[in-house]
Amino acid sequence: MRKIALKAAIGLLAVMLVPAMAWAAPKEIKIGVIYPLTGPAAAAGRELRAGAELAAEIANQVMPGINMDMAKNAGIKSLGGAKLTLIIKDHQGNPQLGADLAKKLILDDKVVGILGCYYSSVTKTVSAVCERYGVPMINGSSTSPTLTKRGFKWFWRTTPHDKWFTKDLFEFLVGLTKGRAKGVKAVPMAEINTLAAACEKTEWGSNVAIEIKNFAKEYGFNLASNILYAAKSPDLSSEVQSMIAAKPGAMLFASYTSDALLMIKTLKSMKAKPKIIWGQDAGFDKPEFVALGDDIVGILTRSVFLPSVVKMKPLSGQVNELYVKMMGHDLGGASARSFTGLQTWVYVLEKAGSTEPKAIQAACNTISIPGAQLVVPWVGIKFSTKGEEIGQNVLGGGLIGQYQKQKDGKIGLEVVYPFDIATAPMVYPFQGY
Amino acid sequence: MEELGIQILKSAVSGLIMGLVFALVALGLTVIFGVMDIVNFAHGEFLMVGMYTSLLTSPLLGVDPVLTLPLAGLVGAVLGVLCYFGLIRFLLRGPMIAQLFGTFGLMIFLRNLALLFMGSEPRIVHEGWLVGKSILVGPGVVLESTKLAAAVLSLFSFAVVWWFINRTKVGKAITATSLDAEGARYMGISTEYMNALAWAVGGASVGVAGGLLVNFWPVEPGVGLLFTMIAFATVALGGFGSVRGALVAGIIIGFIVNLPPVWDAILRSIDAAGLRGLEIHSFKYTMVYAVYFLIMVLRPQGLFGWKQ
Repeated sequence: MRKIALKAAIGLLAVMLVPAMAWAAPKEIKIGVIYPLTGPAAAAGRELRAGAELAAEIANQVMPGINMDMAKNAGIKSLGGAKLTLIIKDHQGNPQLGADLAKKLILDDKVVGILGCYYSSVTKTVSAVCERYGVPMINGSSTSPTLTKRGFKWFWRTTPHDKWFTKDLFEFLVGLTKGRAKGVKAVPMAEINTLAAACEKTEWGSNVAIEIKNFAKEYGFNLASNILYAAKSPDLSSEVQSMIAAKPGAMLFASYTSDALLMIKTLKSMKAKPKIIWGQDAGFDKPEFVALGDDIVGILTRSVFLPSVVKMKPLSGQVNELYVKMMGHDLGGASARSFTGLQTWVYVLEKAGSTEPKAIQAACNTISIPGAQLVVPWVGIKFSTKGEEIGQNVLGGGLIGQYQKQKDGKIGLEVVYPFDIATAPMVYPFQGY
Repeated sequence: MEELGIQILKSAVSGLIMGLVFALVALGLTVIFGVMDIVNFAHGEFLMVGMYTSLLTSPLLGVDPVLTLPLAGLVGAVLGVLCYFGLIRFLLRGPMIAQLFGTFGLMIFLRNLALLFMGSEPRIVHEGWLVGKSILVGPGVVLESTKLAAAVLSLFSFAVVWWFINRTKVGKAITATSLDAEGARYMGISTEYMNALAWAVGGASVGVAGGLLVNFWPVEPGVGLLFTMIAFATVALGGFGSVRGALVAGIIIGFIVNLPPVWDAILRSIDAAGLRGLEIHSFKYTMVYAVYFLIMVLRPQGLFGWKQ
């Protein structure tokens, strides 16, 4: 009798334990991170990786000095303090390799979700793999507008995209004519009405060219020259000749690093004198570009994060301090957005309280992260669930920075748009070469 | 119409200068092919090595990058000889396909070696006699100093190589080796030495080119590819192995890639609003390869080629 009772007790205990074990929170949550760690964008890759790693570090331990919810808990509180483990892979700028890596992360490493991939072309293939397997992907740094126009159910993007950034440019130009730029009197429209653009002929550059064309029409500017050039070209003199011949008030570019460097050198050699030079981030926001020194003073670039943001956002300063300790330099557009991408993952997992894809999907679609929690100067993060752009963060915003000579003689970026948060008077017109 | 005339002048000057630069880069390629019938896929990487040599040695020696050109040439020549004795000599015993894959492998090897030691970020020369300087030669016609210097160097190099091949005893021995290696051996010419010499000349010429180009172009491990594709088209268009052909073909390609601004000026002068969207900048290299294709169909040996 006693034996039967014992067996029954053990059986009962086993029955009770099974579901308890099944529902036990995981000790670690694997997130696959896919970035270009080698190849032409390796420098950006290092920044992206460091941004994501810093966010994971803050999420995995209590950090009293950081005024951010995820720094108050060690791990994901709603999942029993489970820690984040990043499995980082290198796509080398190759969309096919990116897709293969995503499959491997999903099938072999059993990741809960994916963060990546910087290059819009790679994000396109990786998100298609995630969609097929029903695995959530959060993108923090790809800006091709088409990515959120596909109606995907498992893809969310935190960064604003090129359409928004280009709209910012035209808002800025119009504001300039109305005297809204800090330190600049109203500029006559005739002075900057004519535009000339040169964008690289890639998925990203072609889209930027289309946005420029559409907005120029909408805002009443004359786009006299809209050139698509072969990326990584050995010579850009014919493009620059055509742009100068159009006598533009503003020259607009979408180029990666080596093309951006060659473009500036060619502009200088041909003594170009536009009133404004604007770059769509990428090559215009890299340390090698800054190394051009005095030649870039006055040039504008769009960005989502500039070191001068620290002046107006204490939280950015706190995170930036940790980043400087880690990398030896300030947060930039790539690292700040990658940080925000992984931070979004933390808040989504916290809200979902589960690693089940369906629960994460529901959490993504309903999450609302206030701007006060972010290092980037956005209103917040809230994803669109209907309309033209499914999965796009609707509370993001861009900045336009201008290279200026600082007091210490170094060249740095100051915010000139949005006008109300400008960190320095704008230099206008561009000095010319 | 006046604008169109000025633009044609600008494009012609710019095309001529850039064409001479393309020809300079292609010179070493055509010398090596002319002697050995080997297509050196690693040619662009030799250029990259020349660029890095000037970039790194100029601050180290405390001299202007232009003064490091002999060193860049020497490094190119030594690299050429090393590649010949370490790899190419063995490839010559294999079939054509082994030679192709061999130099392709050399390209990957050199590029990744550069990636390992130099990193992937593009680098530029900040200061120098040629850096950031340009000369105004006519109404709106501006010549960039580095490109102009490269064009002059190109003409000089072509003259030297032409003189060396056609007017010296060693040059004639090289020509003999390229025409009939076995016959040359019977005549007492050391073909091994001639082959190594061709690699040394080829390496030196592209090394010097690299050393000069770094005054204007950013250098990164993959920079060779930008120029190699054009260099191959140049050599094939001019005729494999023809020194004169490389010069003429380089200039033709220079003119072709400078056509788009003329087209834009034509559109502006006739005010053809309907044609405004038809910009041809993104097709400028397509035009180069279309001309190359045409020449290959009509004259497979190239414009001045003497090898079939």
